[in-house]
Amino acid sequence: MSVPLTDVLVVSVALFALGLAGALLRRNAITIFLSIELMLNAANLAIVGFGAKVGGYQGQIVVFFAIVVAAAEAAVGLAIFVAVFRHHETIDVNKINLLKW
Amino acid sequence: MIPLWLLPLLPFAGFLLCGLLGRRLGKTFVTVCGVGSVALTTVLAYARLVPYAAGVFGGNAAPVVERYGSWIRAGNVAVDFAMRLDPLSALMLSFVTFVGLLIHVYSVGYMHAEEGYWRYFSYLNLFMFSMLTLVLGANFLILFVGWEGVGLCSYLLIAFDYQKESSARAGRKAFVANRVGDFGFLIGLFLILGLFGTLEFDRIFPAAAAAPGRFAPAMTAIALCLFVGACGKSAQLPLYVWLPDAMAGPTPVSALIHAATMVTAGVYVVARANVFFRLSPTAMAVVAIVGGATALFAAIIGTAQTDIKKVLAYSTISQLGYMFLACGVGAFVAGMFHVLTHAFFKALLFLGSGSVIHGMGGEQDMRRMGGLRRALPVTFWTFLAATLAIAGIPIWAGFFSKDEILGAVFARNPILWGIGFLAAGLTSFYMFRVVYLTFFGTFRGTEEEKRHLHESPPSMTIPLVILAVLSTAGGLVGLPALLGPRANLFHRFLDPIVPPITGGAALGRGAQVAELSRGTEIALIAASVGIALLGWIVARVCYSGDRAGTIPERFVRAFPGVHLLVSNKFYVDELYEAVIYRPFRRLSRMFWKVVDTLVIDGLINAGSFLVELSGDLLRFFTTGNVRNYALTFLLGIVALLAYLGWAPR
Amino acid sequence: MNAARLIFDLAGAVAFVFAAVMVVHRNPIKSLLAIVVSFFALAAGFVLLSAPFLAAIQVIVYAGAILVLFLFVTMLLNLQTEEETADRRPFQKLFALVGIVALAAILLSDVRRSGEITGTSGQPPATGAVEPLARALFSQAALPFEAVSVLLLASLTGAYVLMRRERSGSAAP
Repeated sequence: MSVPLTDVLVVSVALFALGLAGALLRRNAITIFLSIELMLNAANLAIVGFGAKVGGYQGQIVVFFAIVVAAAEAAVGLAIFVAVFRHHETIDVNKINLLKW
Repeated sequence: MIPLWLLPLLPFAGFLLCGLLGRRLGKTFVTVCGVGSVALTTVLAYARLVPYAAGVFGGNAAPVVERYGSWIRAGNVAVDFAMRLDPLSALMLSFVTFVGLLIHVYSVGYMHAEEGYWRYFSYLNLFMFSMLTLVLGANFLILFVGWEGVGLCSYLLIAFDYQKESSARAGRKAFVANRVGDFGFLIGLFLILGLFGTLEFDRIFPAAAAAPGRFAPAMTAIALCLFVGACGKSAQLPLYVWLPDAMAGPTPVSALIHAATMVTAGVYVVARANVFFRLSPTAMAVVAIVGGATALFAAIIGTAQTDIKKVLAYSTISQLGYMFLACGVGAFVAGMFHVLTHAFFKALLFLGSGSVIHGMGGEQDMRRMGGLRRALPVTFWTFLAATLAIAGIPIWAGFFSKDEILGAVFARNPILWGIGFLAAGLTSFYMFRVVYLTFFGTFRGTEEEKRHLHESPPSMTIPLVILAVLSTAGGLVGLPALLGPRANLFHRFLDPIVPPITGGAALGRGAQVAELSRGTEIALIAASVGIALLGWIVARVCYSGDRAGTIPERFVRAFPGVHLLVSNKFYVDELYEAVIYRPFRRLSRMFWKVVDTLVIDGLINAGSFLVELSGDLLRFFTTGNVRNYALTFLLGIVALLAYLGWAPR
Repeated sequence: MNAARLIFDLAGAVAFVFAAVMVVHRNPIKSLLAIVVSFFALAAGFVLLSAPFLAAIQVIVYAGAILVLFLFVTMLLNLQTEEETADRRPFQKLFALVGIVALAAILLSDVRRSGEITGTSGQPPATGAVEPLARALFSQAALPFEAVSVLLLASLTGAYVLMRRERSGSAAP
């Protein structure tokens, strides 16, 4: 009486695709960031799903660490974001192109 | 026991001292080091030579070979640092050191006003080092080190006054002509190494002599290659063109290098390798013909030169021709005898001319000299002694050596003898011409020069006197066989260097010096003396007395073409210029403009151009737009997954 | 079809819908709130997959801390609604869509075969208890556990340093 793996994965893929679309097609930096977090979560879901299917606690442990790392990354990422925003006064990534040739 | 390696080392030390410290420490220091090193070497050399010579005359002519360790060990090739004392190298050692010392002493006086005094003596010492290495080497490679060294020093000393364009050019010409010869020499060395597996004298020559049948076929090639090197170094046809130009260097340099020592290195090599030559009648013929032709050719040119040093230069070329002529007919010992006597009288002639030039304040054109015997008596008398020697008047030294050569040549080939005979007459003629033009008659220079005329200081005249004594009495070591077999000390000393070749009468025929009957020998001596005297008389008639100069003038008017040809050295330099230098320069130009600039540089530039181009193209990928980068990631991942997921299926 | 599956599908649908809202909506605040809801739904999914501890962590840390952080920053910088100006990069959009669709297709095609997976780790299936998880965490994963604390320290320092230059602004926590 448990959730079939296929369902879990379908949801995971769907969320991942959404996150990808958001990351590539939006100009708002905050939205892009959130989309990336979405992708991370989709992956977490998939891992937990596999863990449930296979047994044991490995999957959960991995996701545990993934969440911690995501937190750290979010903190630093937002700090960078704020610094960039202060410099450019815009969050439109199209306009932040200092590395352009 | 004084080691042989010390002998070249002392002048080398002198070179370093004069070269590195001479400029700062002054002329006295340079004199002491420069002359002292050679003096010390001479003393030590004779300390070795005297006992050795005594041994040779006592019957023991075994060569002394000193080995100092290995130099090259590569596969089958093994070359050691080794020096060799045998009759031939002992002979060379004896006069190279002594005459070298005399010239060093002379240079002190001659060059005393020179700014580059320190440079001069350091080069001269370096030359002595190289020459001694050359003659003392026990294998062809050590010899070659010295060979190259003397070539280098020749260049350095000819172009001593390097600020002058003509001197620099003369130096280059000497070096390049030598190089051509060296190329042949090197080929010869390679052939020797390939054939014998070693370059050591004491292994090669006995091996060749013991098994002539096995080695004879290659001998022609090897001998001719070595001879090419000798032609370059000893200024024979066609590589002689550098020697007259080399007169641009200081006169003592001409005396030492281009009369007594370096130019005789070629004869030394031929004598050293006499076994090779004797195994190849072809090579012998070539040597003899080239020697004879050169002797005559140079003598002809010498008759029409007006610069006193140029006459002596062509005279040197001519006399060297005699030496090779001797070797070519198998009379190697006679050739070396002439080397010895020539060293004495030619050095004396050059030093004497230096004295004249010094007294004339730098003037070298004989047409502006005349009657100098009163102002420069010592110079005159010593110069006369040398002239008598070179002309072949008995009992002066040149008579004995030249006569021996002509005798040997006549026994082999009367035609070659005729050439040599003619050249002897011309030699006497042009040398006495010099004497009469320079020392007799009325002075033809300026008043200023006349007042300046003075005899040279003792540092210059003493060597002249010593050399004059040697030129007069030096021939007595080689008295002709006429006076008994034991009379000829020279032959007793040097004969061991021409070992007998076993087996094969056919090979022996060209190898031994043919014998002459007593009558023939006396007749030949009479003929030689006769033509020498004839030359003297003609010169006297033409250039001395009240009607001096009239006969030559009439000759020139009657045969203007001949005179033009001869006085312009048969236009050989111009010929070389047109046939060799100009095409070569054009070829070099082509290599420069086309191959180097266009092709090679072009290739490199094309490479860098491509890099730049690709950079310019790839630049467009760096948009600075994060989304582009993310997109690229995505597409890459998709591609990867597709490959992993589908391709292996 | 069992109850667990049904509820899971429901939660998944909710998560998907609100994620879509997040992606589409132009107001950053509203997007944020939408994704918070999405994450709650995911937490429900975790519970159904026998990972209640993770569900709690998801809610507390992810939704409760990280997204709140986002919210703070957004409000702090007073980020406005995204402008309406046209995004003049049609090719980029095209390629992006193509890529996304391709990726989704590849993944889904693999997903269809996921029913064939039979391997197990040999361990008993996870229960809802926390104790076994803790045991596993502190024994097998002790090193990563410690390492990750260093990582947090590093990120803390990094964030602080990045913010330090402004005297007037307030540093991120």
